[in-house]
Amino acid sequence: MLTYDYAIVGNSAAAINAVESIRARDAAGSIGLFCEEKYRCYSRPLISYLVAGDIDTKGMYYRPGTFYRRMGVDFHPGERVTSVSSSKRTITTAGRERIKWGSLLLATGFTPFIPPIEGLDEVEHITFISWDDARDMLRLTAKPVRALVVGAGLIGMKAAEALHARGARVTVVEKLDRVLPLALDDRASELVAERCGEADIEILTGSSVALLHGRGGHGGTAVLDDGAEMEFDLLVMAVGVRPRTELAEAMGLPCERGIEVDEYQRTKVRDIYAAGDAVAAMDIVLGRPSINALWPVAALQGKYAGMNMAGDERAYPGCNSMNAVEFFGLPVLSAGIVNPPAQGYQVIVRQDEDGYRKAVLQGDVLVGMLMAGRIERAGILTSLIQERANVRRVRNSLLDEGFGHIHLPRAVRRERIEEAVAGLKAAGADRGRGE
Amino acid sequence: MMRIVPREEYCIGCRLCEVHCIVQHSRSKDIIKAFKKEKRPVKRVEVEEEGHVSFALQCRHCDDAPCVTACLSGAMQRDPETGVVTNDTERCVGCWTCILVCPFAAVRRDEGERKVVGKCDFCPDLDTPACVANCPNEALIMVEE
Ligand SMILES: Cc1cc2nc3c(=O)[nH]c(=O)nc-3n(C[C@H](O)[C@H](O)[C@H](O)COP(=O)(O)OP(=O)(O)OC[C@H]3O[C@@H](n4cnc5c(N)ncnc54)[C@H](O)[C@@H]3O)c2cc1C
Ligand code: SF4
Ligand code: SF4
Repeated sequence: MLTYDYAIVGNSAAAINAVESIRARDAAGSIGLFCEEKYRCYSRPLISYLVAGDIDTKGMYYRPGTFYRRMGVDFHPGERVTSVSSSKRTITTAGRERIKWGSLLLATGFTPFIPPIEGLDEVEHITFISWDDARDMLRLTAKPVRALVVGAGLIGMKAAEALHARGARVTVVEKLDRVLPLALDDRASELVAERCGEADIEILTGSSVALLHGRGGHGGTAVLDDGAEMEFDLLVMAVGVRPRTELAEAMGLPCERGIEVDEYQRTKVRDIYAAGDAVAAMDIVLGRPSINALWPVAALQGKYAGMNMAGDERAYPGCNSMNAVEFFGLPVLSAGIVNPPAQGYQVIVRQDEDGYRKAVLQGDVLVGMLMAGRIERAGILTSLIQERANVRRVRNSLLDEGFGHIHLPRAVRRERIEEAVAGLKAAGADRGRGE
Repeated sequence: MMRIVPREEYCIGCRLCEVHCIVQHSRSKDIIKAFKKEKRPVKRVEVEEEGHVSFALQCRHCDDAPCVTACLSGAMQRDPETGVVTNDTERCVGCWTCILVCPFAAVRRDEGERKVVGKCDFCPDLDTPACVANCPNEALIMVEE
């Protein structure tokens, strides 16, 4: 029977960072990596760049071709793990014997959420989450098409942009009243929607698809809730994603908002870890586990899972929601809470020819920021959010063009500059986690 | 590894570090051409100034670099031997995620032929990085950690 000291399910941000982190600590342990997709590790967020023609297939890979060999990893592409036995410490893959593991990482990511729309099963649709989806889209847009994108979240908007670059006539339908509703606020959404409008992408907010009629294959007609009808040749369903928890659930692991893990990325079962979008990660700003299905979050969790699997006990410092998007030349960055509930928060806003900026404070703590247009110094604010630093003395300069370390007390900036050199103390782990 | 350390008590805010950084990262490495004739590269060091205090800050080449972990494409990497964090502009797609997470605002947009980011690369062609070598008052120094 195949036996690995470390078995990993998944081959994306969380899995790859876990591999690197394990190898940095354990040069000898055997690592087996299983993924149902047949590609070497690639960057999922880049599928829209591939479709748009900004990068070629070579640019898709997250790590060089030598990665698995260099890391001493037995890579099993195209193998889906169908079950896990925690008592026998084995996994089973489709069409293969059982494989034994010493410790196991579930880095199974997310699956698209498919809403129950009448007639949807008559229409072939794309969920735009994988390289295969990108290939389908490239093939289907070889000639000009009319495309309908349902959902204006990150994946929907990225799909719309890529389709537009392929010469498609694009309509986006979004149930809520703005685009990128989770990542942005009203004003920033408006700015993004304006840019998309100028590029001739039609955006229908406050609108949903009530009914679909298929034409066989990818084409069909959509009936919107206001009765309007539109024909399309290509349909993208992007209304949301769900943590992929089927393996964990079958084992009886608690998975209410994603696989539950402790701060060492351990599940309830000994030697089984989980990381990435399959997990509800501890959100520093919200102070509770939350779904932040983001590449940097998945990567960092993978890194911590790897450390702990290799016996180097280190607590995951937590994450916060953060987004970097750009549509038609307008960059927008946001972190933390950008749409605070009415009470208990103060909002500072600035709008000028350089763009739109916003800071959200809770008492003396910065809990959210958004920058559209001029984004250059955004990371300083992100780090203040993560550190839950007291910003009382600098609150009036937070949104200034030159806001930086010069505005922080000398001792603080010295400490930060030195800390970076000594390894950024896991933000939040050592300081002010709120308690 | 070697690190560049700013000394604010010596910084006179002349911004020569910025100028020399730009020249060093230009195609011609000629000051007039770099500023007037070519697409001017982004500066990878920036002087922060408030009243009579100033200092120049560039990438800290963090041990646990947030930009490396966050990078969507894998372009941002830390060399395990030298500790230098560099951006492979062939692979960078200009998604700005690193700008979002760098606590030192040490990464900047560089929208030349392709959208990529620019940051301190420790001037691989020089013995001493241009900013350090050309600081008139030794406000930027190299320190061996
Ligand atoms: C179009 C698009 C754009 C995006 N843009 C951004 C962006 O700009 N910024 C950002 O931060 N995030 C972005 N994301 C989100 C980002 O891609 C995810 O957060 C990230 O991929 C999560 O990584 P992960 O390692 O948790 O898992 P995933 O990337 O979901 O990978 C999990 C892998 O495990 C495999 N797997 C699952 N179950 C099994 C099994 N039982 N057996 C074998 N293999 C299995 C899956 O097939 C998959 O290959 C984007 C996503 C998409 C789709
Ligand atoms: S770019 Fe920023 S985060 Fe990355 S190593 Fe340099 S200082 Fe650290
Ligand atoms: S802008 Fe380039 S280096 Fe920065 S995160 Fe994106 S791909 Fe990586």
